[in-house]
Amino acid sequence: MDEHGIRPDIGQALRYLGVREDPEGTMARAVEAEAARLVRAVRPRYVYRLFPIERGRSGVILRGSGVTLPGRLASRMLAQCDQAALLACTLGAGFETMLRAVQVRDMARAVILDACGSALVEAGCDGLERALASRYPGRYLTDRFSPGYGDLPLGVQDAICTALDASRRLGIQVTPSLLMNPSKSVTAVIGLAWEPQPARVRGCEHCSLAGTCTIREGGKSCAD
Amino acid sequence: MLTERWKNHIVLLDGAMGTVLQQKGLPPGGKPELLALTDPALLLSVHREYVTAGSQILYANTFGASAPKLARTGHTVEEVIPAAVAVAKKAAGSNAAVALDIGPLGELLEPMGTLTFEKAYDYFRQIAVAGAAAGADLAVIETMTDLYEAKAALLAVKENTPLPVFVTMSFEESGRTFTGCTAASMARTLEGLGADAIGLNCSLGPDLLAPLLKELCANTRLPVIAKPNAGLPDPATGLYHMGPEAFAAALAPALDAGVTIFGGCCGTSPAYIAALGKVLAGKRPAARHYDAVSFLCTPTTPCRLDGVRVIGERINPTGKKRFQQALLARDLDYILDVAVQQEDAGADILDVNVGYPGVDEAALLPQVVKKLQSAVGLPLQLDSSDPAALEAGLRVYNGKAAVNSVSGDPAVLARILPIVKKYGAAVVGLTLDQGGVPRTAQERVTIARRILGAALSYGIPREDVWIDCLTLTVSAQQEQAVETLRAVRTVREELGLQTVLGVSNISFGLPDRPLINRTFLVQALGAGLTLPIMDPTRREMMDAVAAFRVLSGEDRDSRAYIARFADAPAQAAAPVAADSLTLADAIVRGLKTDAARLAAAALDDGETPLALVEERLIPALDRIGEDYESGKAFLPQLLSAAGAAQGVFEVIKTAIARTGGQSVKRGRLVLATVQGDIHDIGKNIVKTVLENYGYETIDLGRDVPPQIVADTVQKEHIRLVGLSALMTTTLPAMERTIRLLHTLPEPPVVMVGGAVVTPEYARQMGADYYAKDARQSVDIARKVFPQKNA
Repeated sequence: MDEHGIRPDIGQALRYLGVREDPEGTMARAVEAEAARLVRAVRPRYVYRLFPIERGRSGVILRGSGVTLPGRLASRMLAQCDQAALLACTLGAGFETMLRAVQVRDMARAVILDACGSALVEAGCDGLERALASRYPGRYLTDRFSPGYGDLPLGVQDAICTALDASRRLGIQVTPSLLMNPSKSVTAVIGLAWEPQPARVRGCEHCSLAGTCTIREGGKSCAD
Repeated sequence: MLTERWKNHIVLLDGAMGTVLQQKGLPPGGKPELLALTDPALLLSVHREYVTAGSQILYANTFGASAPKLARTGHTVEEVIPAAVAVAKKAAGSNAAVALDIGPLGELLEPMGTLTFEKAYDYFRQIAVAGAAAGADLAVIETMTDLYEAKAALLAVKENTPLPVFVTMSFEESGRTFTGCTAASMARTLEGLGADAIGLNCSLGPDLLAPLLKELCANTRLPVIAKPNAGLPDPATGLYHMGPEAFAAALAPALDAGVTIFGGCCGTSPAYIAALGKVLAGKRPAARHYDAVSFLCTPTTPCRLDGVRVIGERINPTGKKRFQQALLARDLDYILDVAVQQEDAGADILDVNVGYPGVDEAALLPQVVKKLQSAVGLPLQLDSSDPAALEAGLRVYNGKAAVNSVSGDPAVLARILPIVKKYGAAVVGLTLDQGGVPRTAQERVTIARRILGAALSYGIPREDVWIDCLTLTVSAQQEQAVETLRAVRTVREELGLQTVLGVSNISFGLPDRPLINRTFLVQALGAGLTLPIMDPTRREMMDAVAAFRVLSGEDRDSRAYIARFADAPAQAAAPVAADSLTLADAIVRGLKTDAARLAAAALDDGETPLALVEERLIPALDRIGEDYESGKAFLPQLLSAAGAAQGVFEVIKTAIARTGGQSVKRGRLVLATVQGDIHDIGKNIVKTVLENYGYETIDLGRDVPPQIVADTVQKEHIRLVGLSALMTTTLPAMERTIRLLHTLPEPPVVMVGGAVVTPEYARQMGADYYAKDARQSVDIARKVFPQKNA
């Protein structure tokens, strides 16, 4: 599936670039120009699938998926859920090709494009969340959370991609060192519950980059 | 015979294996590729159901039986493939043929991933050899999304087995594969490489595949295969939405488009094949309409030669000192830069000539092809007289390329044409032979006919033969210009072939060469020249082509022409306040063109390159660097300044190449993204900034094994190494690299950085420095390489 009309959040891209103040709007304009080029060329594509949840000793089991989510984060996030959606979203190889082409021409543009790409794949996930919400009215969704957040190990990346057949359906490969290729790819879990779900994972305490994050240095957070 | 029926009859393949296995209770995440070893009876039963349903070709259960995918199973290709083929053969009996099924390796090839084309070929060869030995009747390469991977697999089967080969790829609704490959690029590349049938499988249902199948049929003479999914999967259940009858009904119209080989992919079962058999019963193959246009491509950029197409001439060392220097230094970045300039200037095809004394062309050409294809979308024309270099270049080229050139000399034709045929390339034929360049148009046309005849005899199609009637220098042989034009006209009108001319040769020795070049270009286009080889960065030449395209009717409603000149006034207004701008300001503001111009002026005024760098460039970079550190400027601005500095260095290098002066050396270092890590923009940022401070970097790329770093450090006597890691999972590789470097007799200074690296990790791993960003890497380089005079 792909999403039409999804655009990256310019403010988010600016934060990824470490831009804290931009009084004349120079950087914002540069980011907007690059974002416009990006959305003309690349669309986020995603797949998701719902699985019933069981709770086992080793973690939350998504029945029929081959995925078990170990750790406190998953068990807390999915505590009130009877189903969870596994999802994957990617900008695909098209983004990588574009980024390589821009890198050899203008590295300054390339870092802006890279930030826009990160923002766009997030926007793709947001779009997927909206699609999920409208397809299952009456269900409440948890925040989405990904391998690498909190104590959810990166290692489940591979099992999520296998369960979604993400290699065949989106062209995502997981390397032995658990990187996803294409680079602008996200896997995540969203729980479905019958009662409202509080926001839980946005914030620095779940982020592995908290130690060296320049956004935090500036007294802000990427979740702001 | 059953195994050849597919050549001109309607043939039924089988449907999904995985779907049926899951219906029979194989758990998801189970290892279907091992089934021939673990549960051959189950496998046999599925194959038998397909035979009963009417399948005439069974795909053996070898889709995932490649060394990389079997790596963690404890089994080998040589165990799994014979077992799987044997089960399929047992089910097939005399009722069906058995295909060795070859799927993607599950690792991305370069430049997307780090798996090399050569390594991929080796994996596929292992599969092909095992499959042929096991008695498969044919090979099918399927579910490919990367044309490069499909090419590696196809060559591996053809070069190591006698099996016929089908190739099917998976497309999205956008009409492209995940990697951006078009149906036309796929069809013409794979047919050129000798596939026996091609088609589409997986991804979409038959309804959404229909337009793509039509496009495929127009772009190939080969039998076409359709093996779609049973529609789209439901996210709640994973089930596909089309039933057998709906599937068969939706696929049947593909017959009229020209498809003759039918089957099913994900979500289909024997019932779907039986339903297909019913709707196809008694039908005959439809008439096909092949579009015999001349064509060149990369996966993403199909280039139909149905008008004037500009071939960029600048990747060529002849008469270019700076290019020669780059070739001898293996400076592929420079060559790429020349390519990028031509692509941005509007070239359609790039000529690539890297032949120069002291250069091993057969080794360099494939490297250059890969480098160019990593960042340039245009098709390439490989320009060499060395058959080994041409073969090496064509082999690693992704798409359909051209070869420049052969002559009418029978010895040359016999040497080069078999290579052209094998790789499905187009070829430029020069109208000269052992006797030299004929003086009359008529004699040149005679040679053109001879070249065409030879090409046809090798099975090279007519549309792939391009003729160069040869531009001679008008100041030396004035009457020859007219003969050349006359020959172009005849070749175009009588033989109907594409015509090539190197335009710029015409004007040697005359004043105002651009005027002669442009006038000759227009005359030649008027005479029927379709493929001018020229310098696309000369605006006046490209303007002439744009105007010609309007006058010939190729540029419909003058759209491209109007767009070309719509932004012209803005271009002219660019160099403002030129006299008040200093070099330092130009660098700080990231004005590359101005910086280069001011640097050239300074050198002309007698300033030394060293003084230019040390007294003007470095202080300017420091100014923006300090703003960056204090949060007044941001990474893009730092990199813009670095880009402008690059413009200055390019001016200096060109001047030095011309005059042979002393180059500016501030120190050499090695940069690498560590093993297992494939995202390298961070390392590239550091490289850009360091290089434009005048440091020479040896960029080892990404996913670099520790040993390669250590070997390079020793061989090149390197004092500083920069390592980058993005993921916690690759920090151990960073540590291993550092440890290995410490065992060297003269251990280098090591700086580390990257998203997950912290000062604490850096210390624990034994790194000498932690660089939080590119700017800090410059400070570290300064400490390691103190400048005496700075």
